Amino acid sequence: MLYDIGVRITYSYDYPTDAGRHLLRLMPADLPGEQRVIVGVLTPTPRPEERTDRIDFFGNGTTEVGYRSAHEKIEFRVEARVERLATPPRLDMSPPLSGMPRELSDIRDLSPWAPHHFLGASPRVPIDPDITAFARALADPNKTVREIAETVGRQLHREMRFDAGATTVDTPPTEAFQRRHGVCQDFSHIMISALRGIGIPAAYTSGFLRTIPPEGKQRLEGADAMHAWVRVWCGQETGWVEYDPTNALTVGQDHIVVARGRDYSDVSPVKGVMRTYGDQSSEQAVDVVPLDAIPA
Amino acid sequence: MPIRDPISDYSTIPGVSDELIDASGAVRPSWRPFVDHISRLTPEDLSRRFARGDQYLRDAGVFFRQYDPSGPSERDWPLSHMPVVLHDSEFSEIADGLKQRAELLEAVVADLYGPARLVADGHLPAALVAENPEWLRPLIGVQPRSGHFLHYLAFDLGRGPDGNWWVLGDRTQAPSGLGFALENRVATRRVFSDFFADANIHRLASFFRTFRGALLGLRGDADGRVAILTPGLLNDVYYEHAYIARYLGFMLLEGEDLTVERGQVMVRTVAGLKPVSVLWRRLDAAYADPLELNDTSRLGTPGLVGAVRQGNVSLVNALGSGVLQTRAFLAFLPRICQALRGESLRLPNIATWWCGHDAERAHVRSQFERMSIGPAFSTRPLFEADEPIVAGGQTIDPGALDDAAFAALGRGMVGQEAVKLSTTPVFVDGRLMPRPMSLRVFMVRTETGWEVMHGGYARIGRSVDATAIALQQGGSVADVWIHSDNRVDRDTTLTPPDQTFTRSQPGILPSRSADNLYWMGRYVERAEGVMRLLRAYHIRTLENPRADAPLVRTIADQLELLEIDPAVGVPDGLRNTLDSAVVSASRVRDRFSVDGWAALEDLKDTADSLSASLASGPAISGDEVAEAMGILLRKISGFYGLVHENMYRFMGWRFLSTGRALERAMAMTSILARFADPAAPEGSMDLAVEVGDSVISHRRRYSVSTNRDTVIDLLALDAKNPRSVLYQLEVVKDLVAELPGSEINGQLSDLSRAILKVHTAVTVLRPGDLDTDRLLSLWGEIADVSNTVTGSYFK
Repeated sequence: MLYDIGVRITYSYDYPTDAGRHLLRLMPADLPGEQRVIVGVLTPTPRPEERTDRIDFFGNGTTEVGYRSAHEKIEFRVEARVERLATPPRLDMSPPLSGMPRELSDIRDLSPWAPHHFLGASPRVPIDPDITAFARALADPNKTVREIAETVGRQLHREMRFDAGATTVDTPPTEAFQRRHGVCQDFSHIMISALRGIGIPAAYTSGFLRTIPPEGKQRLEGADAMHAWVRVWCGQETGWVEYDPTNALTVGQDHIVVARGRDYSDVSPVKGVMRTYGDQSSEQAVDVVPLDAIPA
Repeated sequence: MPIRDPISDYSTIPGVSDELIDASGAVRPSWRPFVDHISRLTPEDLSRRFARGDQYLRDAGVFFRQYDPSGPSERDWPLSHMPVVLHDSEFSEIADGLKQRAELLEAVVADLYGPARLVADGHLPAALVAENPEWLRPLIGVQPRSGHFLHYLAFDLGRGPDGNWWVLGDRTQAPSGLGFALENRVATRRVFSDFFADANIHRLASFFRTFRGALLGLRGDADGRVAILTPGLLNDVYYEHAYIARYLGFMLLEGEDLTVERGQVMVRTVAGLKPVSVLWRRLDAAYADPLELNDTSRLGTPGLVGAVRQGNVSLVNALGSGVLQTRAFLAFLPRICQALRGESLRLPNIATWWCGHDAERAHVRSQFERMSIGPAFSTRPLFEADEPIVAGGQTIDPGALDDAAFAALGRGMVGQEAVKLSTTPVFVDGRLMPRPMSLRVFMVRTETGWEVMHGGYARIGRSVDATAIALQQGGSVADVWIHSDNRVDRDTTLTPPDQTFTRSQPGILPSRSADNLYWMGRYVERAEGVMRLLRAYHIRTLENPRADAPLVRTIADQLELLEIDPAVGVPDGLRNTLDSAVVSASRVRDRFSVDGWAALEDLKDTADSLSASLASGPAISGDEVAEAMGILLRKISGFYGLVHENMYRFMGWRFLSTGRALERAMAMTSILARFADPAAPEGSMDLAVEVGDSVISHRRRYSVSTNRDTVIDLLALDAKNPRSVLYQLEVVKDLVAELPGSEINGQLSDLSRAILKVHTAVTVLRPGDLDTDRLLSLWGEIADVSNTVTGSYFK
């Protein structure tokens, strides 16, 4: 599936900032076998004095921009054409939950996608007794890890209310879980915490959803902004599988990957630090249009 | 005449080693001369000596910040006056063991940020690294510019019952205590000055010289600067940071003082951005860069990791070195030493079992009574605080650990052999008592290898309980004397005697320091003005007790402008102003003389105690308040005397003086606008002259009594009266001419232009021109000069 993706993120400041530095993870990822970026441009406006493009530990593309002059408004714009490849459904070869400690202890690896990175608490995802208990209650010992992960995701989708106004980017997952509401970030962090709590490595993926649904299908939640979902390690044999708890579905060709990490803090689209006083406001606009939907 | 031998009734604890008494019950030879010395002292002499040491610490402003349920509070530095004495042959063995350990740690950290072979080969479990919050992913694969991760280390050691030393913990992140060790030494030397002079105790100065040289050596080129990076005022050992910065002559910076431009770390100074090439970091790495590390940090510098990556700055120690402090690593280091170096640890570390493996977990479970159980990922020193074990988000009481909890805790837990630390003698109620102690030893990397400080920092428990020796738990600290059988080098100066004296370039002044000095000048001056007004107010109310008397009312109005309520003894507004001055000063303690700081604190403390004593009386007595203000005014002039006499006339002094002069000019302008107004009540002119401290000058200069022209002439336009507006503007004008960038290629800076304009305007005025409206607009013009100072230098 081919997509044309347009993203515009705008920050406005009450007072002109006198210096700023931002770390951006906004460009769709080039992932062999999964996703191909045909063309992609990231344009910061105004033009920054410094710009460095790099790959981070987890393999995500990052762009660091530095401003030294004063400005009241900054815009980051991405335009990209991306091919999302179809991944054939895989057999579930994952072990039962009781087999995980053995699988994990055999691994002597610190490379970026070694499962141990995704097993303990991370900056935005604590291990929480309530969330762990929620997952434990769903962890049927006769089921595979992959089945358990999907059960946990489905149950979260059932119990939680999608509410764009209920949480902010800084709401802790424990709080969102107690109130059973939030947005994709909350759904994903809670699911990650739940899986790690019972010993299943889980990671965070940021990305986009196609804006206009295929004919006869419902528009997905989170399509008008950046989206997030979960990546689960299901043992050596099966490896990583992605699941979207906000929409209760296995990730497929409607999801375009931007970055992956332990949680939001590893992949946040715009990390910014500036010397400024007063308030700032931001706007985000995302368009993900399948090429076959563009009139000739 | 000695009353009794202080050690005759010193009794050691069975089953525990003692530093003073050896296993056979005899005094260790290294202690002998010292013990003989103190047994010749009377108890009175001894306590006089202790008081001398304590007085030194108080004068030096050494304190300790304690946290208890009521919040942080500052306590006297808990120095145990008895040093701990070790023989240098024993210490050499310790030093050799620690040098081996330092090399080992360097190899481990280089592997963890490089090929990760230790994990691949099974010497270190992947979980202990991958789940470790101190293993910083943005630094993976980044080679330190100097070629080494570790440059400065500390180790905590304890002596076990068998008499051997054990490493209790490795301090690799940002070891503290070096400055305190130095302060302990100075104080303890004061206590035993006559003994110390001829005793063969290794001096510390050569280590500090080596240390300073090692940091300077990391600069790469001679122009690079070395700075100390501190988390700031709220850190519990900030005092130490300021002290060591002053002692070594390095800039003390906070994260916001730095900025990164094209991969180069720069310090914001009053002369613009200047490059920094070495940072001795007292800040935990995770907080050092909000962009790539902990994004909630308010203490860091965005882009610092990028500068490290580009090889433009050396950090002491490298960002990420803190991972070596992980308590669970102690379980693996003995085997890693074998694997990497093919040899055993010369100095063993405390036996540790990581409960992430089944066999070790079972061992800890079965030996539970002889273990202390703690968090595997803790990086804090042993005994520093009782740390809860947290598993699955729940805190677990080590006493209530059952099989299920053990199994669930797994990776998050270590068991460590419960240690019985050796005891050392301390004076408790005039008697020597044994108390458990641990020893912190410091070392620095030089071009020729690791150098160990011959001395250290001993932490001593309050009770005989060997597991509670932290300061926070009421413990004390002691100097460590390394005793030699031979003569030691007596040199105690930082500058090597055989080196030619060079005057180093005057330090550059960070913008934040300039900002604080400037505001300290303003606040102290403001406080002085308020005191003068308050004194005048209370003298007038004594003469005329009616609160609605016109002149009294006018003074009250003027005070209200400054947010001062004259109805209370020492108004909160005045105390707040003094507090602000102290806060500003405390942020520049590294640039401020100890005496100046003490004078300012004394001023504030006096204001607080006068406030309390005045408030305790039945009613406010004008007499008493006027007298109190007199006391405070004398203290303030004492403070100014110290600043004026002792502060080096460079950039910092210029900003402080500029602040003071602008504040004084504005205050006088404001006073004249009110009291020299034609409609002001009778007595206002005299009051202005009195508040302007110019009564005598007026009498000398004018043969008439006060009138508007004489008052304006003397207090606004007389260039020879230090209280006049014109005089202060002239002071500012001269100071501004000496500030960086006051003139660029013959062009005046905005600030030079602004001060020149207002100075010229006032110079050409005649008393009759300066009516109330003109005074008010003049006030605004001077305030604009202050804003221009801020805009030009403090950004």
